[in-house]
Amino acid sequence: MTASRSLGQFYPVASPLHGLDARAKILATGMLAVGLFLVDSVAGFLLISAVVVLLVAASRVPPGTFLGFLRPVAFIVALTVLFQVLFSREGETLFDWGLLEVHEGGLAGGLFLALRILLLVSTAGLLTATTAPVALTDGIEDLLSPLKRLRFPAHELAMMTTIALRFIPTLHEEAQKITRAQAARGVDFSQGGPIRRARAMLPVLVPLTVGAFRRADELAEAMESRGYRGGEGRSRYRAPRFRARDAIALAAAALVVVGGVLV
Amino acid sequence: MRIELEDVRHVYAPGTPFEVEALRGVSLAVEADGVLGIVGGTGSGKSTLAQHLNLLLAPTSGRVLVDGADARMLKGGELRRRVGLVFQHPEAALFAPTVEEDVAFAPSRLGLGEEETRRRVRETLELLGASHLAGRAPHALSGGEKRRVAIAGVLAMAPEVLVLDEPTAGLDPATGEDLLGIVRALRDGGTSIVVISHDLDEVAEVADRVCILEGGEVRAAGTPEEVFYAHPEASLAPATVRTASILRDPYPEVGKPVRFEETLAALNGLLEGRG
Repeated sequence: MTASRSLGQFYPVASPLHGLDARAKILATGMLAVGLFLVDSVAGFLLISAVVVLLVAASRVPPGTFLGFLRPVAFIVALTVLFQVLFSREGETLFDWGLLEVHEGGLAGGLFLALRILLLVSTAGLLTATTAPVALTDGIEDLLSPLKRLRFPAHELAMMTTIALRFIPTLHEEAQKITRAQAARGVDFSQGGPIRRARAMLPVLVPLTVGAFRRADELAEAMESRGYRGGEGRSRYRAPRFRARDAIALAAAALVVVGGVLV
Repeated sequence: MRIELEDVRHVYAPGTPFEVEALRGVSLAVEADGVLGIVGGTGSGKSTLAQHLNLLLAPTSGRVLVDGADARMLKGGELRRRVGLVFQHPEAALFAPTVEEDVAFAPSRLGLGEEETRRRVRETLELLGASHLAGRAPHALSGGEKRRVAIAGVLAMAPEVLVLDEPTAGLDPATGEDLLGIVRALRDGGTSIVVISHDLDEVAEVADRVCILEGGEVRAAGTPEEVFYAHPEASLAPATVRTASILRDPYPEVGKPVRFEETLAALNGLLEGRG
């Protein structure tokens, strides 16, 4: 049965962002990511934040989904900010509690760093939420294909990524099914301390791993029996087209980055 | 125990583009004895329904009653122990190093003591004709053997109601036949059984009551005779009923047989009468 797909991040709705070519989106995301590390002014951060918020709105993906992407990094962000604030000795001293000193530079640096990570994750989330996994990996393969001459396995890398992404929801569903089957045999996954709960996971992890290996074998055989022999001479069912609007989107992303760095 | 579903609806992933309404107001009763057959095609909501019988899934709306009281009133694992649920392809959840340990997994958490647990494991394996497998590793067994062991793993809790989701799916006919024999033996021993299947012929052989599920709704329910002879079209009746309902037109003395043996006897009677 259809289970929750919290892990398949692609959010299939129609929006201007969903309609863009994957390659344009990957490049634009890359530019924004680099830009985020070059930006060093309040105005620059305001500009990029505003653009990201606008893009989230344009993607028609519920904002709550992005909060979901941010949740796993929240702890790391908090930790980095704490270190930055406590151990940076730049600028004027704001507080001084003996061993602990908070400096102006540290506080600003910490806030910028937090903003940087949150914007980075949101931007990456925009890419995966608006791009179907297959289009995404096709895009990566295309962008990496110049490296094929250097024997870089671009096709294999893209195929492996596609398969991995494809099987996240499947494994998730399988894990849920096995969890329920063991719950039907009396396992209570919600009670007891961390050690007891970890032990309760064993009856799920063993069959899940065995199943994953079996599935991998079956997939390899199915692919071979349908004539798959690697990327050599393989054509595409859906050839992506790079249109004017993709070029415009790229140019706009470049402008935003340059603008953000210069202001 | 008697389980009742009252206007149960279940919606997966509500409020997202993946939203699916799997059950659209299902009301039915699982009596304290006998075999209830639930039939329906893929996507009819059978497996979702099965998981409501021990509240692994909670209804989005509607109620599940056990002996007239809300099933949520039962404490923690009690409902799961009293209603044994065997999932489709249950062998996917085998994990212990030996068959014996896997079957002992559920009863050993009931606080029965080692001796009683051993006795249950032995008896359950015997009932399923799998005693000779006790010391083997589950992953090294054949498909049919794994299925027996997996069913034993639930049956060892001595549930009052046993729910089997597609028990014979992917098995050879002989093993499937054996399993249906085990279902009959358990029924005769007083266990209430729910067999969920897409196979009308299989359900016709074992069911005392039948419920046809379609698109998350109950399309028909009652005795096999009532349900199958009300709609003898190909997709809703077993081969025996289709055959007999064609013959009934010229020869009403055929009656309304459902099981294979009954149908055979009716046809023999017909032939002898005309001898």
